[in-house]
Amino acid sequence: MTGAALPLARRRSAYARRRGRSGLTFVTPFMIVFTLFMVVPLAYAIYQSLYTTKLIGGTTFSGFANYATVLRSGPFWGGVARVIIFGAIQIPIMLAIAFFFATIFDLGVARWGRVFRAIFFVPFAVPIVVSSLMWGFLFDPSYGPFNRIMNTAGFHNFNWLSSGLMIPAIIIIAIWEWTGYNSVILYTALKSVPRDVIEAAILDDTPLWKIILRIKLPLVRPAIVMLVFINTIGALQLFVEPYILNNYQAGVVTNTWTPVIDIYSTAISNGEYQLGAAMAVVLAFVIIAISVTSLTFRNRRRDFG
Amino acid sequence: MLFNQRIFFGKILRGPSAKATLAGAVAVTLLAACSSGSSSSSAPVGGKSTSASPSPSVLAGANCSSSATHLTFWAWVPGMSRAVTKFNATHPTICVTLEDPGAGSGEYVPLDNALKAGTGAPDVAEVEFDLLPSYEIQHYLVNLAPYGANKYKSNFSEWAWSQVSRGTAVYAMPSDFGPMGFYYNQKVLAKYHISPPTTWTELAADAKKVHSANSKAFLIDFPANDPQWLMDMMSQAGAWPFDYSGGANLKINWTGPAQMKFASFWQPLLDSHSVGTVADLSTQELTQLDNGTIAAAIYSAWAPSYFAPDVKLSLGQWRASALPQWSAGTKVGAVWGGSTYPVFSESQHPAQAAVFSEWLTATDQSWDIVKTPPSSLFPTYLPTLNSSAFKAQTYPISGSSQPNQVFSAAAEGVPNTPWPPFMTQVLTQGTSTFGPVLTGKVTLAQAFATFQKQEVTYAQSQGFKVST
Repeated sequence: MTGAALPLARRRSAYARRRGRSGLTFVTPFMIVFTLFMVVPLAYAIYQSLYTTKLIGGTTFSGFANYATVLRSGPFWGGVARVIIFGAIQIPIMLAIAFFFATIFDLGVARWGRVFRAIFFVPFAVPIVVSSLMWGFLFDPSYGPFNRIMNTAGFHNFNWLSSGLMIPAIIIIAIWEWTGYNSVILYTALKSVPRDVIEAAILDDTPLWKIILRIKLPLVRPAIVMLVFINTIGALQLFVEPYILNNYQAGVVTNTWTPVIDIYSTAISNGEYQLGAAMAVVLAFVIIAISVTSLTFRNRRRDFG
Repeated sequence: MLFNQRIFFGKILRGPSAKATLAGAVAVTLLAACSSGSSSSSAPVGGKSTSASPSPSVLAGANCSSSATHLTFWAWVPGMSRAVTKFNATHPTICVTLEDPGAGSGEYVPLDNALKAGTGAPDVAEVEFDLLPSYEIQHYLVNLAPYGANKYKSNFSEWAWSQVSRGTAVYAMPSDFGPMGFYYNQKVLAKYHISPPTTWTELAADAKKVHSANSKAFLIDFPANDPQWLMDMMSQAGAWPFDYSGGANLKINWTGPAQMKFASFWQPLLDSHSVGTVADLSTQELTQLDNGTIAAAIYSAWAPSYFAPDVKLSLGQWRASALPQWSAGTKVGAVWGGSTYPVFSESQHPAQAAVFSEWLTATDQSWDIVKTPPSSLFPTYLPTLNSSAFKAQTYPISGSSQPNQVFSAAAEGVPNTPWPPFMTQVLTQGTSTFGPVLTGKVTLAQAFATFQKQEVTYAQSQGFKVST
């Protein structure tokens, strides 16, 4: 140790302290809001899930009994399976369509590109409740035009909202709602692809389809992985569309149809708030499991490298 | 009329007041959308925000003297502010503020939360008959007997009073209700050469007759997905599936001989598609009733005012006749829907709140207001119910006929319906379990058996001693 090192270290630590202080100042507002609106409610939900309130007998500590009920609940896991199937079909179709339009906008070959980008984005600006109501009228079993079209096409007594077609109907709605949003994100990613790479490819006489699929697509893969991730979480939380469509066709959407509907009817209709909290925690773990898996996958492929 | 089933995960509303439900239902939906995070299919990041404003609209209660005792009152019956204004004008020492948090769940969800929290609940609120035991079991209701409620007993229909009382205790004042009847389009019935059936056997034959004459037409709709309607129908058949008189003992019986007899009567009509299977009070049903596809409905006293706004083609053609009977010559009735006005234990002024609830439900002064549109309440209060003016009331939808003659008579001879003390669960689970009966996926008897298991499991998990 030389004597000169000491003041330097002191200076450095003073700087570090200052930097630490200002860092703390910047982070504090976020941390306060994050704690109040994320950490505290989550902790409270977990705390609640360890108790059971009965109409006869009041509230007692029940440990993991609520979790045992959830883990054994056939309807709950049936709902989880249903939304996973929903996501597995809806997300790839939607991303393919979104990528197609993002590419067209990116190439700048379409006239009025900006106008169409805005139009495609409009469904995202419509509240989900409103768009579900609108699609409900279109799919309405008695008067909806979509059933009439199918009937005219020779499918008699066709019902878009029957138990077999409810998921496809919601897939159509979800694609309509979210394609614009996803394509805007993909468009932005495509725009950030370095020009020189593309120019080099053009100079090499690479055909357009190869530029799109072999160069641009791999380069925007991080964005696609992120969208898959976000949309999967969204799919697991499916609620509003089936909830609204139930008003157009009775007897298809049950009170356990999706996990969130199950949580809602358990907590609100059945008055079993603590069981509902346990279900929410379990669903959160399912989502975390999927997120961690997807993050590991991303890191391994060094998408963010 | 946007919402067919009104509210799925909460109360299905009955009565003319349910017309105002749309706003409530949407509000609940929005709240649900908020509370479940970004609840739709995608993009929790930067997702759509829906702003639900839960603040209820204050409809009456201004201009009171400052020394008056202030009460808060929640109700969703349209036009209720007229009665509150009248009460405040005639009771200078009490000042009632009316708030409308929204129909059904719009009110019940915040009410339940406030009662659970122990603060923020109104002094008096509108609670439907079937939900009263759910509030009573949690000790949320004030016994009105010490405030003189029992002196009004003889002024109310027997069924209504048995619903709000246990022994000498009175847990709410009854207001409106819906004695059931056969409500039909006389022109359509005449077209099929059918007179209103007086027994269910006759009705079954008529239903087949209509359907064989026109495979797209039905005599009536059988909305099995609506547990409340179904249970009211069962009560008339002597097949009421619950027995409850307070405390921890509860009887649940969906699979007894009477229930199975009820199921096996209706199942052949469902199997042969002789009855319609659209959701009751849905846009589809009301449209099909209006255009003659469905000739009649097992509706209740509030039907004329409820159905009226949807009637375009069949104006003036609707008539009421008594509910068909299981044995010829009997007069057994049933009631579908209706509301009560309890005082909540959180109230700081139960005596004044009781005065208000009693005035609202048991005085001519109040009934002269609430029986008229837009409230159009059908009274449990006998002086109004039995008055010749009320019975002689005509409606544009019913031409020169007097439907209240039929429905007033139907208010007698109604078997008691002791609701289980967790009716929201029954309605939600029931809607879900009975729904597939409409699509033909399960039979009524199978749905009853499933529901029996579901209800026994739920009741036991809630600590009840369940007998079957």
